[in-house]
Amino acid sequence: MDFSQLEIMSHKSILVETLINSPAKLIPLTGNLGMSNSITNKNLHRPQLALAGFVELFNHNQVQIIGNTEYSYLKSLSKQQRIRSTSNLAKFDVPCVIITNNNPIFPEFIEVAEEHNIPVFTTHYDTTKAFYLLSEFLDDQFSSHVVIHGSFVDVYGVGMLFVGRSGIGKSEISLDLIERGHRLVADDVVMFTKKRETVLMGTGTSLAQHFMEVRGLGIIDIRQMFGIRAIRFQKRLEVIVELEDWQQNEEYTRTGLDETFADLMGVEISSIKLPIFPGKNITVIAEVIAINYLLRTYGYNAAKVFSGKLQDAIKNRTAGPQVNYQDRRLISYFQGDNE
Amino acid sequence: MIEKKVVVLNRAGLHTRPAASIVKLASKFKSEIYLVRDKFSINGKSIIGVMTLAAEQGSEILVRASGSDENEAIEEIVKLFEAGFGEL
Repeated sequence: MDFSQLEIMSHKSILVETLINSPAKLIPLTGNLGMSNSITNKNLHRPQLALAGFVELFNHNQVQIIGNTEYSYLKSLSKQQRIRSTSNLAKFDVPCVIITNNNPIFPEFIEVAEEHNIPVFTTHYDTTKAFYLLSEFLDDQFSSHVVIHGSFVDVYGVGMLFVGRSGIGKSEISLDLIERGHRLVADDVVMFTKKRETVLMGTGTSLAQHFMEVRGLGIIDIRQMFGIRAIRFQKRLEVIVELEDWQQNEEYTRTGLDETFADLMGVEISSIKLPIFPGKNITVIAEVIAINYLLRTYGYNAAKVFSGKLQDAIKNRTAGPQVNYQDRRLISYFQGDNE
Repeated sequence: MIEKKVVVLNRAGLHTRPAASIVKLASKFKSEIYLVRDKFSINGKSIIGVMTLAAEQGSEILVRASGSDENEAIEEIVKLFEAGFGEL
């Protein structure tokens, strides 16, 4: 499946006020000042050398973190020196400054920041934790999203996305899976967000939630019908199942020795092409795909094991015709109709 | 692939009934049809999708079609938008 044509959505910049929603529990020390400053970079910066006056290569467009090192340095200075040091930083276009450990920041620091329209926040977290919390938050704010027309279900804990032409039966398969105790993430409109470059997280939209359209029936609400255990809000994408009408001349995987992948926003996702024809129970196959994926994740690959046994058998076979057919049975000697 | 920009004209916006008429029309064609609003792109044959656009009066939508009957598809869908879904 080719996902290269999809529209990718992402923010080029966010407002400083967005940081208030971060889990770092920031408290503004400068009121509403500079809340509409824009942050254009998701990285955080510790302005150690900039405070000391060395401003070459100073990443001023990043959120500045004043940790214990910076705080102790400022504390060691006289008031006049502190104003100069703070100005080194404030004369640049800095989006905002965050003080960690709730260190009691100096009034002159706040004054200089206010003069330059730079908002100052404080957090009770130490620098390492604040860094971690803010990085995660900013990574999400600046992350790339795509919307995919498909149905996204958690099958035995495996995030499985069904795609295929309109009307092929994606929703019906999901409904069948829900009936069997699996959990719907979203139907028809699924949003995927790239997290830390390697993970795609999928969710529905706030409007469509867990509503679903069933052809000939109309709109139904899965959460109301099947309850809380039949849904979930988010899930990591692990397998893409591409449903298509069975075609005589199309080649489908027979051994499963080679895993195929689809590229979605630069992330490789295991992908399976599944032909559909009347009488085929796709729901059961979907469950088997999930279990097989889990087995592979936990180190057991049935195709490889079988292939290995075959190779051993070929190697050990002595030259010449084998006449003892009894040896080919799984049971070498039948004792009766017992286990 | 061809695409064309349309504007939602009727006062109530793209509510359930207009959404249903778009989906019904789009489903008649073999082509893949997508509606895009601010890079948010959804399948024109999915009612949930079209409703998710939550397009109010005046909002711009890009209609995109690709397939053997893409020209007729675009033409008819644009016509539906221009008629304000019969609510003008």
